[in-house]
Amino acid sequence: MDTLLKYIRRNVKVKVTLLLAPPLIFLAIWFYAPFMIVGLYSFDMINIYREITFTPSLTHYSKVLSWTGAAGIFLRSLYFAGVTVALCLLIGYPVAYYISFKVKKYKDLFIILFIIPFWVSFLLRTYAMMSILDERSIFNTILVSIGLINSPIKIMYTDAAVILVMVYDYLVMMVLPLYANLEKLDKSLLEAASTLGADPVKTFLKVTLPLSMPGIMAGFLLVFIPSVGEFVIPELVGGPNNYMVGNIIYEIFMGARHWWTGSALSMLFIAFILSLVIVYVRRVGERGLAI
Amino acid sequence: MMVNRRDVLKVAVTGVLGLAVGGAGGYFSRQAEIESLKKEIEELSKQVSMPTVKLEPNLNIYNWTYYINRNIVDWWAKENNVQIVYDTFESIDELVAKLQTGTSGYDLAVVSDSPLQELANLGVLEPIDLKKIPNFKYIPDRFKNPYYDPGNKYSVIYSYGTTGLGWNSEEVSPEVTAWADVFEVDRHLGKYKGKITMHTDTIETFGAALIYLGRDPNSTKDEDLRDAVDLLKKQKPYLAGYASTEEYMEGLEARRFLISHAYNGDIAGIIYASDEREITITKQLEYISYTVPEEGALAWADNFVIPKGAKNIEAAHTFINFIIDPIVSAICTITVKYPFPSGRDYVPEEIRNDPVIFTPDELLDKLHWTRPFTPEERAKRAEYWLELMAA
Amino acid sequence: MKIMSSFLKIFTIMVFLFLYSPIIVMIIFSFNESKSLGVFTNFSLKWYEKVVTNPEVWRALYNSFWVGAVVTFVSIVLGLMMAMAVTRYSFSGKSILESLILIPIIIPEIAEALSLMIMYIFLNIPLGPVTVIIGHIAFSISYVTVVMRARMAGYDKSIEEAARTLGANELQTFFRITLPTLYPAILAAGLLAFTLSFDDLIKTLFTTGPGFKTLPLVIWSSAARGGVSPELNSLSSFALSISFIFALFRLRTERSVGR
Repeated sequence: MDTLLKYIRRNVKVKVTLLLAPPLIFLAIWFYAPFMIVGLYSFDMINIYREITFTPSLTHYSKVLSWTGAAGIFLRSLYFAGVTVALCLLIGYPVAYYISFKVKKYKDLFIILFIIPFWVSFLLRTYAMMSILDERSIFNTILVSIGLINSPIKIMYTDAAVILVMVYDYLVMMVLPLYANLEKLDKSLLEAASTLGADPVKTFLKVTLPLSMPGIMAGFLLVFIPSVGEFVIPELVGGPNNYMVGNIIYEIFMGARHWWTGSALSMLFIAFILSLVIVYVRRVGERGLAI
Repeated sequence: MMVNRRDVLKVAVTGVLGLAVGGAGGYFSRQAEIESLKKEIEELSKQVSMPTVKLEPNLNIYNWTYYINRNIVDWWAKENNVQIVYDTFESIDELVAKLQTGTSGYDLAVVSDSPLQELANLGVLEPIDLKKIPNFKYIPDRFKNPYYDPGNKYSVIYSYGTTGLGWNSEEVSPEVTAWADVFEVDRHLGKYKGKITMHTDTIETFGAALIYLGRDPNSTKDEDLRDAVDLLKKQKPYLAGYASTEEYMEGLEARRFLISHAYNGDIAGIIYASDEREITITKQLEYISYTVPEEGALAWADNFVIPKGAKNIEAAHTFINFIIDPIVSAICTITVKYPFPSGRDYVPEEIRNDPVIFTPDELLDKLHWTRPFTPEERAKRAEYWLELMAA
Repeated sequence: MKIMSSFLKIFTIMVFLFLYSPIIVMIIFSFNESKSLGVFTNFSLKWYEKVVTNPEVWRALYNSFWVGAVVTFVSIVLGLMMAMAVTRYSFSGKSILESLILIPIIIPEIAEALSLMIMYIFLNIPLGPVTVIIGHIAFSISYVTVVMRARMAGYDKSIEEAARTLGANELQTFFRITLPTLYPAILAAGLLAFTLSFDDLIKTLFTTGPGFKTLPLVIWSSAARGGVSPELNSLSSFALSISFIFALFRLRTERSVGR
C-alpha cells in the first residue's frame, strides 16, 4: 500500500491518468459514444433494426445539402442568433460596465438582483414574457388607455418576439462573463490613460474595449450557441416564419423519425459550430470561455 | 376483481359528477334520465361476469394530456390496489420516441392509427388478448377489426374523430364550410388575414392541402407534394401560424385566432370548458364552432396498446376492459368531449347528438384515413415541409 | 463624463425594468382569481392553496432537487479531477483534451439530447431517473471543469508545498488546504451545475421514464392547454421571494463579516 502510494506520488503520468480516467470514461460512454452512434447513422451504417452495417454512404449528407429549404432556415437561424448576440452585447455591455465601474457600494447587490430573474424557471419566464407581448396584455391595455399608442402593439408570433425572448433569456450569459472580465481589468491602466490626457471616449475605445475582448467573446459564444440551436422559443412565440435549425432537427428526428437524415443534419450543424469555436479558440485561446 | 357495476355508477353519479355541481347543473335536472341509466346498468351488470384476479401492484400508463376522466382512473386504482403512474404526452412524436425503444417502461399507451402500424411493424407492441377484455363486445362493430390493426391483434379502440376547422362564429362570416375558405385569398383567408392557423402536424396540414386539391391525402408522389407545398406557400403569408393543440385552444378562446385547423375534440373541449377532473355538460363558449370541410377531411382513431417490455400486462388488460365499459366510457366522453365508442348510448342526448363530439356515421364513411409511411416517405414529406417552413 | 454616468445609470435601470417586468406580472397575476395573465379580476390566494395541495408539483420539485443535488455532486467530483489534471500537470495530448472538454458546452442541446436518447435506445437501457441524471452530468462536467479551471489558474501552490514540508500527506493536504482554498470555485461551479440541471427541459424530456417528472416537465405539460397554470406562477413567486430574502440576508451577513 505504502509503496503503491509512493509510486503514484512520484509518477506524474500515473497521477494524471488516475485523475483523468473517471471523468473521461464517463464522458466517453455518455457523451462521445452517443455522437459516434449518430455519426454511424449519418453515414447509413445502422439499419432500421439497429444493426451495424459496414457499407458507409454519403447519401444522407448529399440529401441534406441539396435541400433548398434547409439552407434558408440555417441562414435564418444564424441571423436570429446574430441579432440576439448583438442586442445582448449592446444591452449587456453598458450594464456590466456600469456595475463594474460606477457602482461603488452595492456591487454584489446589483449582480444578485441581475441574476435573480434567471432563477425563475426558463419556461415560466418565457410564458410570463409571452403574456406581456400579447396583443391583449396589460401593458398594451395601459399604453392604449393612456393614449401613448393607438392600437395594441402586435409582437407575438413575429421575428421580433423570438428575438426579444431570446435576448431576455440569454442576457445573463452575456453580462456575467463581461462583468467578470471588467472586474479583473487593471483599473490603474485606465487611470493612467486619463492622466495622460486621453478623453473618456478615447480611453474606452483604446483601452477598456480591447481589454474586455475576452469577456465579449465569451459572452458571444455563450449566447450565440444556444440561440442558434434554439427550438423551444421559436416553437412557443414564433409565427410561421420562425422555424430554426433546432426545429428542423427536431422535425426530422421526431416528426419524420428519419434518424439517418436527422443524424446527417445534426453532424453538419455540429461541424459548423465546432469550426466556429475552433476559429474562436485560435484567436482568443480557450481561456476566453471561462465564465 | 372488485369492480362492481353499481359502484361504477355510484362514482359516476355522486363522485364524478358531484365534483362539478355548477357545471353539471344541466345534467342534474334530468334525474329521470339518470334513473333509467341506473336501471340499464343493473341489467348489464347481471350479464357480465367479471374476472376476479389479484393484480400486480403497478401500472404505468402513457396517454395524451386531458384525455380521460382522472377521478375514475384514481378510483379504479384504489379499488384494485394498483398504483397507477399516469404520464401524458403533448405530441405523437414524444409517444413514438418513447415506445419505439421497447424499453419505455409503460404498461399501457394510447396510439393513433398510423403510428400504431409503424410500431407494430417494429415489433415493439405486445399482442392483446381479447379474451381478457369481455367488454370488447360493447365496442360498436364499425370500430372493431380496423384496417390499421386487422383482428385487433395489438389494439383496442380508445377514441376517434376528425381534423377540420374550428372557428369563431361571432366574428367570422359567412360560415366556414370548406377548405377553400382557408386556401383561397378571396374567401376567409384574405378577409381574416393573420387570424387563421393551420396544424403543426405535417400529416394534417399536407392532408388538408391535398384534399383541397382533390388528391390522395396520403400521397407521397412528388407532383402531389409539389402542388401541396406551392398551395401552402401561397397561404402562408396570410396565416397567424402553424398551431398545435395548446396554441389553438388558447388562441381561439382568447379570440386571437378566428379559424384554426384543429381536432374536433379539442374544439368541443373549448366549447364545454372541459377539464379532466370535472364534468361540464353545458356549453360555456357559444362562439366557437367546428366544421368538417365539405371537400372531406382526415379521420383518425386512437387506440390502447400494450408496449413491449410491459411488466403488468394483466392489469393493462383489466384497465382496458374497465375503460371500454359503456358507463365508464360514457363518463370519459362527457368529461373530455372526445367520443369513447362504447359509451355512446349512455351519454346525455345533447352530447350524443353533438356532431362536434360524435362524428356522424355517414360522414365518417366519407372521410380519409391516414396510412403509415416508411421512413423514406416521411423524410420526403419532411423535405417539402421544410421548404414550406423556409419560405 | 457626468452625462455619460447618468445615461449609464438610466440605461441600467431600464434594463432591470425589462428583466423584472415579466417577473412582476407573474407575481401580480399569481394573486389573480381567474387564470388569465392579461386581465386582473379579483385578488385571491386560490392558486397558492392549489399548489400547496398539488402532490404532482411537490413531487416534481422534490425530484428536481435531488436530481440537481446528485448531478452537482458527481459533476463537481469529476470536474475537479479534470480541472486539477489540466491545471497542475503538463502531459501530451493536453490541448486535444482541452478541446474535448469544451465540446459538451458548445453542442446545441437538442442534438445532444437526441443522441443520448438514441444511445439509450441502442443499448436497451430502461428510461428513468438514472438516465436523466446521466444526461445532466454529461454536460455539467464540462461547465464545472471550465469554471474551476478559470478559478484555479491563479492558484498559489506554495501553501500546499508548505503543508507538505510540514509533514502533511497528500490526502491531508488535499482536504485541509486544497479543498478549502478552492471553496469559492466549487461553489460557483456547483451553483452553475445545479441551475443547469434544475432548469433543464429538453434533455429531461427525451430521457425520462414512467412517472418521473422534474419541475420543468410539469410546467411544460401544464401548459398543454393554453398557458401555464397559475399554480406554477404562484410556486415560482414564492420561491423567488425566498431566494430574494436569502440573497439579501447573505449580502448583509457577508458585509458585516467583511467589516
